[in-house]
Amino acid sequence: MSMHQEMEQTFQMFMGMVGELGKLAQPTDMPDSERVARAKKVFLEKTTWDIATELEGCIHCGLCAEACHYRIGTGDAKYTPAKKFELMRTVYRRELSPMRWLYKLILPDITARDLEEWQELVYDSCTMCARCSMICPMGIHIAELVEYTREALAEAGLIPAEIRAMQQMQYETGTIFEVSADVMEFKVKELEETHGIEIPLNKAGAEVMVLTSGLDIMLYNDALVGTAKILNHAKVNWTIWVDSFECANFGLLSGHAATLKRQADRVIDAAVKHNAKVVVVSECGHAYPALRFYGAEGWGKPLPFEVMAPSEYISKLYEEGKLKLKKPQDRKTVTLHDPCKVGRHGGIFDGPREVLKAMGLELRETENNHMTNWCCGGGAAVFLIDRAAELRQRSFEIKFGEVKATRADALVVSCGSCRLNFERGKMNAGETLPVDSFAQIVGDNLAS
Amino acid sequence: MASNMTLGESLRRRGVSRRGFLKFCAATASMMALPPGSVPALAAALEKARRPSVIWLSFQECTGCAESITRADAPTLEGLIFDYISLDYQHTLMAAAGDAAEAAREAAMHENAGKYLVIVDGSIPVKDDGIYSTIAGMTNLQILKDTAKDAAAIISLGSCAAFGGIPKANPNPTGAVAVSDIVKDKPIINVPGCPPIPVVITGVIAQYLAFGTLPELDVHGRPKAFFGQNIHDRCYRRPFYERGLFAETFDDEGAKAGWCLWKLGCKGPITYNACAVTKWNFGTSFPIQAGHGCIGCSEPDFWDKGGFYEPLAAGTYAPGAGLVSAAAVGVAVGVGSAVLARNSQKALHKEGA
Amino acid sequence: MSLLDFARGPALEWSLLIMVFGIFWRLVGTFLFKGQVYLSKPKGTRFVAAGLRTIATRSWPDERLERTIRFQHYSGYLFHITLFIVIFLFEPHIEFFKWLLGFSWPGLPTNAVTFAAAVTVATLIALGIRRATNPIMKSITNADDWLSWLVTIGPVVTGMMAFAHQNIGIRYEDLLGIHILSVCLLFIWIPFGKLMHMFLLFPGRYQIGEKFEFRGVRA
Repeated sequence: MSMHQEMEQTFQMFMGMVGELGKLAQPTDMPDSERVARAKKVFLEKTTWDIATELEGCIHCGLCAEACHYRIGTGDAKYTPAKKFELMRTVYRRELSPMRWLYKLILPDITARDLEEWQELVYDSCTMCARCSMICPMGIHIAELVEYTREALAEAGLIPAEIRAMQQMQYETGTIFEVSADVMEFKVKELEETHGIEIPLNKAGAEVMVLTSGLDIMLYNDALVGTAKILNHAKVNWTIWVDSFECANFGLLSGHAATLKRQADRVIDAAVKHNAKVVVVSECGHAYPALRFYGAEGWGKPLPFEVMAPSEYISKLYEEGKLKLKKPQDRKTVTLHDPCKVGRHGGIFDGPREVLKAMGLELRETENNHMTNWCCGGGAAVFLIDRAAELRQRSFEIKFGEVKATRADALVVSCGSCRLNFERGKMNAGETLPVDSFAQIVGDNLAS
Repeated sequence: MASNMTLGESLRRRGVSRRGFLKFCAATASMMALPPGSVPALAAALEKARRPSVIWLSFQECTGCAESITRADAPTLEGLIFDYISLDYQHTLMAAAGDAAEAAREAAMHENAGKYLVIVDGSIPVKDDGIYSTIAGMTNLQILKDTAKDAAAIISLGSCAAFGGIPKANPNPTGAVAVSDIVKDKPIINVPGCPPIPVVITGVIAQYLAFGTLPELDVHGRPKAFFGQNIHDRCYRRPFYERGLFAETFDDEGAKAGWCLWKLGCKGPITYNACAVTKWNFGTSFPIQAGHGCIGCSEPDFWDKGGFYEPLAAGTYAPGAGLVSAAAVGVAVGVGSAVLARNSQKALHKEGA
Repeated sequence: MSLLDFARGPALEWSLLIMVFGIFWRLVGTFLFKGQVYLSKPKGTRFVAAGLRTIATRSWPDERLERTIRFQHYSGYLFHITLFIVIFLFEPHIEFFKWLLGFSWPGLPTNAVTFAAAVTVATLIALGIRRATNPIMKSITNADDWLSWLVTIGPVVTGMMAFAHQNIGIRYEDLLGIHILSVCLLFIWIPFGKLMHMFLLFPGRYQIGEKFEFRGVRA
């Protein structure tokens, strides 16, 4: 069986497993009043002057609705981004704003029913892609406010079941999809044999600590294999530590702050223990900001090492002249998708493009790219929510429509979550355009 | 003393020809914007009119209104008092003085009860029982009440009588009020102005004499014939206002070019009078034409509308200090609000920790 | 005291005081919260430049985003510009500011302002109809939106009525009084509703420029 066929089979099994996730979640029941109190605590503590300015500033202009893939894809006004932070705004106005004494007279308080209603608005129908944040004339970072609202709902025990299951499991074990250290080690050895490459584990003194993910171990091996090939080719002194290989952070994905910190601390403590100079996450969207922009804040002081996304690190190697690239045989033209958390939220755009062009590929841009790139529709764990299937599909259609319009041979992307949504979207829509991992396409085209 | 001759007989006795008389009627009618067809009616009415008794009461006034009426030309003051009315009491013009003058007033009131016309100029002080202006030991207030009792109608002449005028200006130490504030049961025609235009005064008197009814009055009781349009709508400088060309000082290029005086405080837009049409000094000019903004002298409280040189867009008080205080208080409340809010955030944080 | 005297006197005085007091209260109370704590290494470090740049560039988003909001974008800016002309470049209004602030500036010919006022009213009505009928707008509109719309269009309409008093048949001093009172209403409402965006847009755009500069991205 080709790697591609194997992946397709695994993908089907993976989809089946994801469908059962909801049943594994532990209940988080509590009285309504407690839910409201806990949610409010998050809203109030998160109010810094910039947040206050934003919450005071919404003028109900509705421009955000024209930037949102879920609102446009479904045509449903209830997904208007400005609505998503309405709960936080109400609590802020009634309890912290300068005119709270007046607002308390006319604004009713939020209720547990409101919190339940908002679950769909901030989980199912928002990947925090920040396209709306780009268009807002008042400078409101709506995606950030949604992030805080997710945190409030998480505190109130209202994480959607599928995501909650993953968050609870990761809090306990640190891993996802039950990919423990043993499973990981076993799989890595298998990959080494199958592909004839070295994936050094637990190598003391390695300067570069690479992270992978249960997702890549189980499904997107090509990303891990490609990364290994590239690092070996560039003679990087790297390793994966078996006791801390997981970079996915279901604390960030669910809004569960304690899990975010706990998971990030696991990685950071290991990196410190092993004296890593650079930590490279896997091809993943949220894993990058989880460590790069939230790691130090949770850990309590600046990180003593660099954090990079694989596309970023690979571009750096290319700029330093450490990569000898050759032209792929099976691809002439490609289009690159910038994952929201790596591109718009992380500033990584042009490095990977330079690498693809250096490979002799003709790079075609979708009509919306860089800062206005359309979200794939499946990030921020939306992929796991069963009832969000139609939302994801409508959103996929927008992005994929632009991809097809480029008439490129393949879509290249450096994020497993995006790949999941693209593959499932293709399945539902009967599309067959190949979706390549960036690490894989580069790793497969290194000149010896 | 009232004459028993009709007006027509009196005029013929004095050698005024029929032609001359009709000419006067036509001029009067046209000045009051009465249609040409009313001239015969006016002539017939005046012909038969007995010279009615007119009692002129002067209270807190400067005599400017009496001065103004002496400049009237259609009809002239002399024409009025010799031919058309019997001016039985008027401080400046009557020959008698002292007790004789008061006696003349009482006689006229008694003989013409219910039919005499009262003209009042000057405001009436009411503070401290009206002690601030007395004549022959009687307060203006008392004289007005007594004289108005059997009057047919009252003309409040000048802004003081009509609205309180200069004595009423802030702080109004004498408690000056208008005639209409005292007399409630008689027809009153307000003829304001400081002073009113001469022919406006005589024209109103003539109309009342001719028709015996009040002319059409506006919301302030002023004859619409003379007070129905504001200065702004009849001002010859209006095109400059429309175009936004204003004099900024009294001797800049705009002032020399005759531009609109709105910025220099002209109250034309809110002042109703005939100045822009009838003008002063027999149609020579009026304040705006002479280069000074209208001060609004025919309007109530014109002294207290923020200043003659402040434009209508300005407030009628001095801002500045108040706003600085408001800002300071706002900052203080804002700081207080933020401190309390941050404290509540800290308390929450401690709860959770 | 006539309607106009009341408008130019106590009404103007108190509404201005309330406005100034309220603006400072609200702004100071908003900006004195603590700041976010950043321990991660920033990707971009020119925070002030990024913040200031974003204040300007948010008025003209990327074309690929702008084309989806073209109607709102153009009509929004159109009415703000014509409203600015009406408020600040009309000679009688400049006299008001001279009284209030102590200095003045040149204005435009009155015909230009009349035209701008007409465009302002027409655009506000069009946007009002949009707010009442468009499903997205209906899902987020509240009382503040309507009240702010009313206190903004009121002065422009009453101002035009005062200017055209001969056609309307109401006495000019009353129309002027009503116009000034409508402006007093606007003053009173400014600190309490969304009209504060005239101040908040600056720190709002600035802080998002800063935030994304931290991520190495131009927002």
